[in-house]
Amino acid sequence: MVSVEDTTETLDDSTLIGHSMGDPERFAALFDRHADEIHRYAARRLGAELADDVTGEVFLVAFRGRGRYDRTLPDARPWLYGIATKVVSQHRRAERRRTAAMARVGADRPGTFDERSADRVTAEQLQPRLARALTRLSASERDLLLLVAWADLTYEDAARALGVPVGTVRSRLHRLRVKVRRALGGIDPFAAEEPQHG
Amino acid sequence: MDDEIRTFADGRPSAPPYEPQARARARERLLAEARGGRRLRLPRLGWQTAAAFGVTVVLVGGVAVALSGQGGTEIRPATSVVLSGGELNPRPDQFILVESDTMYGSHSVDASGGQTRYLYRQHRKIWKSVDGSKDGLLLTEGQEPRPWPGEPLPADAKSWRGSEWNQLASCPDLRGPYRDDYAFLSTLPTDATAMRDRLYQPVPKGKDVNADAAAFTRAGDLVRENYLPKPQRDALFEAVKTIPGVEAAEGVADSSGRVGVALGRVADWGVREELIFDPAAHTFLGERQVAVDAKAGAPKDSVLALTAQLDVSVVDALPDAPDAGADASCTPETQAPTPIPSESGSTTAELPAAEATITFTPEPTSAFAVESTSEPETGPTGTPEPTVTRTVTPTPGS
Repeated sequence: MVSVEDTTETLDDSTLIGHSMGDPERFAALFDRHADEIHRYAARRLGAELADDVTGEVFLVAFRGRGRYDRTLPDARPWLYGIATKVVSQHRRAERRRTAAMARVGADRPGTFDERSADRVTAEQLQPRLARALTRLSASERDLLLLVAWADLTYEDAARALGVPVGTVRSRLHRLRVKVRRALGGIDPFAAEEPQHG
Repeated sequence: MDDEIRTFADGRPSAPPYEPQARARARERLLAEARGGRRLRLPRLGWQTAAAFGVTVVLVGGVAVALSGQGGTEIRPATSVVLSGGELNPRPDQFILVESDTMYGSHSVDASGGQTRYLYRQHRKIWKSVDGSKDGLLLTEGQEPRPWPGEPLPADAKSWRGSEWNQLASCPDLRGPYRDDYAFLSTLPTDATAMRDRLYQPVPKGKDVNADAAAFTRAGDLVRENYLPKPQRDALFEAVKTIPGVEAAEGVADSSGRVGVALGRVADWGVREELIFDPAAHTFLGERQVAVDAKAGAPKDSVLALTAQLDVSVVDALPDAPDAGADASCTPETQAPTPIPSESGSTTAELPAAEATITFTPEPTSAFAVESTSEPETGPTGTPEPTVTRTVTPTPGS
């Protein structure tokens, strides 16, 4: 006889959520599967302390709203990221502070940028210049950018997470690139690293 | 991903690991919610959409339609009256009442991560507004569970007695193509080809979605606890037969013993999901799930779900159910975050309040402790009567 664990592992998210309609506790399997990833995303945006709360909240909201899950989607990550984005947005002030703090780090340490080849990303630290660029974006632009850049969602998944058509995602990203380029000073700070970049 | 976006991806801040303790607490909170919601699982979830989930949840249907019109105060015996020319012709302001017996798998995870399972059974009555303009009602009564094939009945299966009323919020606009009210169902194509196209719409958006599986699921969602007019029933029956992977089997009985044609398809979890139809009237009799391989986690050929849609009728008004659980499924998805119940001494409560702009609108969790006032009226012998716990007295409309 096959163990339940085996069974659960082979089910896609959609089926698990379907099962959890009748058997709510089964939803825990979704937590087991995706909590670390959602936590990472929350931690990048808000820092470690808030990430714990946000992650718990995301899964509670997801659990309560699972009846609305579109079960034609086997992968629940875009849905969870969509909820995470909303929950993160409840902490906008905290995020602004964090971003502002990271931007200041750079102002105080002009040399930071050139250290990128060694170890660009030091713990808990976003490139100050990127942080400054982030502060120029609207909340929804930031949500989209970070879903794609930090959560590695495809455009389709990001569209799904944000509840907008994928065409909208593309056009928003286009505008966003222009804005970011301007914020970064019109030059790509990492151009040297990417010979192909043009 | 390229250029500016790549820049951000490369520059992403590192993320600290999810501390095991914090992780365990969050998981436990989720489970507490899940367990607490057991009694009210429907109210919280939005049960209508639950129906859209087919797989585990819901019910089933069948046929038998007795045009009982404006409900008398008597409970109609759950005899199945196979449609014999007597199609329902409900008015928009009325309700469709569907009565079923169901058995589906229940899978639970306990605090230590161990899992238990069994087959839970219910007798259900569901009232849905004909045109979706009004909220509906759902009455579920527990029936004695059965063990998961080949396993003993776990302890958590013991508390099955009792009944529950739940409101069913109706929001046709929000549900869009997933609507299942009669007004919507009667606009579905009456031609098999067009109906088939509808089963494949909306196109599944996920990468790995099996479109045929999704279409089959959608078909089940359309017939389960619903009433389709004859032309749509015929079209649906023919359309389902054309879904790749679907096979027809004659002589399959629903849980009430009625025999029909089963249109079945093997799902990716090792189970053949079958929709059983009356061979002539194409009314939905019930559904069955049968283990076909190891993925099902049960011996081959064991039955993991079996239902019967016993009766479908039209009533003028909902029965009086003052303590019915609420249904939040129509509220916008951007709900205010609910506070995380912080256990005393929990460090998670140490959220830098100054920074949190969260508006913790304390959800009255106590309000959900809707102790069902209805005492289990099943005899102590544990042999529940498939009768309604409460007298259904539709208050005649104006």
